[in-house]
Amino acid sequence: MTESKPSPNPGQAIQVQGIRKHFGHLEALRGVDFELRKGEFLSLFGPNGAGKTTLIGILSALSRPSSGTALVAGYDVKEADPAMRREIGVISHASFLYADLSPLENIRFFATMYGVESAEERAIAVIDEVGLKPRMHDRVRTFSRGMLQRLSIARAIVHNPSILFLDEPYTGLDQHASGILKEQLQALHTDQRTILMTTHDFSRGLDMCDRVAIMVRGKLALWESADQLDPAGFERLYLEKVAQAGRG
Amino acid sequence: MNTYLSQVKAIVWKDFVTELKTRELFSSMFVFAILVMLIFIFSINLSIVDANQVGPGVLWVAILFAGTLGLNRSFTLEKENGCLQGLMLAPVDRSAIYFGKMLSNLAFLLIMEAFLLPVFMIFFNVDLVSHLTPLLAVVFMGTLGFSALGTLLSSLSSNLKTREIMLPILLYPLIVPIAIGSVRLTGQVLDGKSLADMMNWVGLILCFDIIFISASIMTIDHILEE
Repeated sequence: MTESKPSPNPGQAIQVQGIRKHFGHLEALRGVDFELRKGEFLSLFGPNGAGKTTLIGILSALSRPSSGTALVAGYDVKEADPAMRREIGVISHASFLYADLSPLENIRFFATMYGVESAEERAIAVIDEVGLKPRMHDRVRTFSRGMLQRLSIARAIVHNPSILFLDEPYTGLDQHASGILKEQLQALHTDQRTILMTTHDFSRGLDMCDRVAIMVRGKLALWESADQLDPAGFERLYLEKVAQAGRG
Repeated sequence: MNTYLSQVKAIVWKDFVTELKTRELFSSMFVFAILVMLIFIFSINLSIVDANQVGPGVLWVAILFAGTLGLNRSFTLEKENGCLQGLMLAPVDRSAIYFGKMLSNLAFLLIMEAFLLPVFMIFFNVDLVSHLTPLLAVVFMGTLGFSALGTLLSSLSSNLKTREIMLPILLYPLIVPIAIGSVRLTGQVLDGKSLADMMNWVGLILCFDIIFISASIMTIDHILEE
């Protein structure tokens, strides 16, 4: 059976059609469809185990979908084209950083991996951008969770990607660190990057996004423009959607 | 090609900088290798047995056992903080990751052996200096095959909860041809024979080196995925 593939649309950063993912008998994604325009910010909410991280894993070409197709920056994720990898950056609750290297050594290493010209200069520039230049020669192992997350941002943007996937970036951060992270994410969004963020934090998620989605049991239960939603009533709406999907 | 080589070089550089800062790998491998040799020294009566006959076996047991410690650490380091995932997100050919890790493992083992050989010479009272060139060639060929296969299996076992147990279980049966070849060649080199007289063993080790490297390049994509 051949799968129908969405034709690349230059206006769309992400096109997902009928994505399914099985882990043995478990169906983590049960047919996800959406399109995200270039420069849009999508906040994806959902309970634990809803399939949010699995979706990000597929869109960043870390794992393959069982069926369905997804185009990221116009490239089919199944082909994991190096050009597609250069277009995406991922920030997760894991930092992807070497604990015994310094921020400069880490970011310069990843810059080389992405084939960035003048890796050292670019590394220093992005470390400065996230406010860690004074600590750029210290070991990453000595960093707080908030500093690690800021350094993760530097790692994710060192190759200047047009699309960012953020997988629960606020996990484990205190109020102060969350505030700094929010400012930096806002700065990334104003740079016209397309951002897909999964989070459990309603206020921070709704504050920055253009689109809102709720994923429950491997399917999108809500897809809405942020303008159309009342932030005050979102928690009730979320609980309703989760309960509805649980009954379905 | 330039990007590929700079990526391989960056992985080797990263492993070296990490090792220079932590000194965990070299110290644990070297101390373990010395301990293995010491145990054998106290259990073998060198006034009865010929050191050139038993010495090579002890040397290679020490190298392989200590090397396994290093190989176990190799990909565990990449798993900390999800670094391997970070590496997999980059536009890096999976074989570049393999070659980077393999070359750094090979270099660490060769450095450890450079310190181990003089200790072996003292413990077993054998003359390595007069056979140094062929001996270094044998040590290099054996270590190359061990690193090639060990790096592949280390990447495979790093996904398992029982990785410390699984790596030797997978590695030792497969490394037998190289281990036997290296022991036999080392013994004959110490007896003063030239490598040209032992081309069957040299050929065997080189064949397995090529087989292990080729198999690794062909399978590393699948092993590193998911």
